[in-house]
Amino acid sequence: MNNADILMGTNLSKRFDNLEVVKDVSLTVKEGEFVSLVGKSGCGKTTLLSLLSGLEKPTKGKVILNNKDITGASEDELALFRRDHVGFIFQSFNLIPTLSAWENVALPLFPIKMTGEQRSRRAHDLLNQMEMGHRIEHLPGALSGGEKQRVAIARALINNPKIVFADEPTGNLDSVTGEAIMAILNELHKKKGMTMLMVTHAEELAASADRVIRMKDGEVIA
Amino acid sequence: MNYRYIWKEIRHHRHRTLVNVLGIAVGIALFVSINAVSAAYQNAISLPFKNIGADIVVQRAEKRSLDAVQPPASMRGIRLPFSNQILSSQDMENLKTISGIDTMATSLLLWEFDQGGFKTIMGVDLTAPSLGPIKVKDWLAQGRFPEKTGEAVLEKHFAKFHQIKLGDTYRISGQSFTVVGLLEIKEGSQVASANIYLALADAQSLLVGSTRDINIAYLHMKDPAQIDKIKTEIAKILPGVTITSSDSFLELMGGMSQISGQFSLVVSLVALAGAIFLIIKTMIGNLVERSREIGILKAMGWTNSDVQKQLIGETFLQSIMGGFAGIVAGYLIAYLLGYLSIPIATPWELNLTPAFAKMAETSAKTIHLPVSFSAVLTAAALALSFFAGGLASYFMGRRMSKMKPADILRKL
Ligand SMILES: Nc1ncnc2c1ncn2[C@@H]1O[C@H](COP(=O)(O)OP(=O)(O)OP(=O)(O)O)[C@@H](O)[C@H]1O
Ligand SMILES: [Mg+2]
Repeated sequence: MNNADILMGTNLSKRFDNLEVVKDVSLTVKEGEFVSLVGKSGCGKTTLLSLLSGLEKPTKGKVILNNKDITGASEDELALFRRDHVGFIFQSFNLIPTLSAWENVALPLFPIKMTGEQRSRRAHDLLNQMEMGHRIEHLPGALSGGEKQRVAIARALINNPKIVFADEPTGNLDSVTGEAIMAILNELHKKKGMTMLMVTHAEELAASADRVIRMKDGEVIA
Repeated sequence: MNYRYIWKEIRHHRHRTLVNVLGIAVGIALFVSINAVSAAYQNAISLPFKNIGADIVVQRAEKRSLDAVQPPASMRGIRLPFSNQILSSQDMENLKTISGIDTMATSLLLWEFDQGGFKTIMGVDLTAPSLGPIKVKDWLAQGRFPEKTGEAVLEKHFAKFHQIKLGDTYRISGQSFTVVGLLEIKEGSQVASANIYLALADAQSLLVGSTRDINIAYLHMKDPAQIDKIKTEIAKILPGVTITSSDSFLELMGGMSQISGQFSLVVSLVALAGAIFLIIKTMIGNLVERSREIGILKAMGWTNSDVQKQLIGETFLQSIMGGFAGIVAGYLIAYLLGYLSIPIATPWELNLTPAFAKMAETSAKTIHLPVSFSAVLTAAALALSFFAGGLASYFMGRRMSKMKPADILRKL
């Protein structure tokens, strides 16, 4: 394994009951790389992302993430691994409705021993970077889709992740807002050198990535 | 543990929280009120005896022992009540041989009939200051208790009815007495309630042909647990006497009074268990609604125990709120029930007024439930609400650990 490889999936398969959704997929992402994963709806993109990010265990194959083989890890070990090394951005934002913007950003830090002020400061800094300084105390219900996704991006960055996994980050947004979010992600990659794996079914969004991986019926075709 | 998040969840989902808190509160309130009322009943029944400081009362009823429904024509003047014939000095000597008796007091109860009706006269043994009808002196409304012969205390309502005031001279069967005090008979004191209280010697002098006679003996035990044993012993040594204790009230009364402390504990625990069961079901229902939230937490790197701590925090906060509300409501219900008067049926021998006198004082026969705050009951209720919280957390934790973080990727 090359030292620069931060994520490596080998011969990954995932089967739900009789349905093999991911079929013998191998792929590698290098440190600092922005990779997009494209394919038609239902071809297995989200499933592959959940295998690579340690949200789900593969039926076959193995995953090495940040030099650690996470294939045999327990549920709690995976949770701790995600907490320390991985950031997530989802299509449907997945914010906690009862918590304010900054509390949502700080959520991954709640179980970590640190002062409330440290958590709060870090969350505030990230929200300011996302130009969300004026929405810090708002509940998600009071935010627009684009604003929610900015909060979610701030949350994905709070643990200084080695890699960010994004599943259709603009899928719930209109095109103008979607472009703004893509601009933030591109900037994260270009200016901060963030490693990213982004799932999308829109070719034009995939084009801004360093590399495009195409899937069809559970297999990588290019 | 993150108190901010716990508090926000609790506050934000007001309806959900209210249902949970109310559920626990209802269970705990049932538990507290049932037990407090049951304890009050037990207490009420022991009150008549407690009020005179006695564990056992010994009397000797008239041989034919039939309480006439009509007063016989020949009943004019001073006479002994049917249920209170003389206890002979031999009887008293025999009583003294029984071990386990701590103190003993005696009294002489008389009835006087005239054209106007009847009065009850209690000759009080002034030498035993804390046992027997002398205890009524605690309820003096005016003046003092007799200290020597020639002095009398009258029951307040009786005095008012006959227009007698403090300091007046009152004549009984030709003898004059100075009224030195007026008193009011308190609830649950029928065992000691009379119209007139005199020194024992005065009462004895009223009864023709009597010098040192008495007709009621009050016994205080060294060990209250021995009451039953001593009752059988007395029955053996003094055949034909009637022996009464608090239990005699219990036997006469039906309903709640027969519900023992243990039984009400069981009933209330069953009620509470039902409430807890329902609450756990709703809480798990709430949790399923929150499966997306749980998935987010897990995806963000919360371990099962991190999520469990959050759930425990929320559950315990609600349990404690429910517990406190339930305790307050439970005592409120119990105290409200305490305003109701319950009738206390008095064993025939202990009813000191003639049975045909229907105007017998009602205040002595009904009683307000003496509901009281119990630290033990309160602590038990708090412990139970904690237990409910623990149980709910346990089941929620089991359910929560099955929720997978990957599921949130497919939920919109
Ligand atoms: N938990 C599951 N149980 C059974 N089948 C599943 C499960 N998760 C996904 N699938 C199936 O696996 C297939 C691939 O799903 P996946 O969500 O990975 O597709 P996708 O490429 O992300 O599609 P989209 O672009 O619509 O998000 C689908 O046919 C889906 O129904
Ligand atoms: Mg998908």
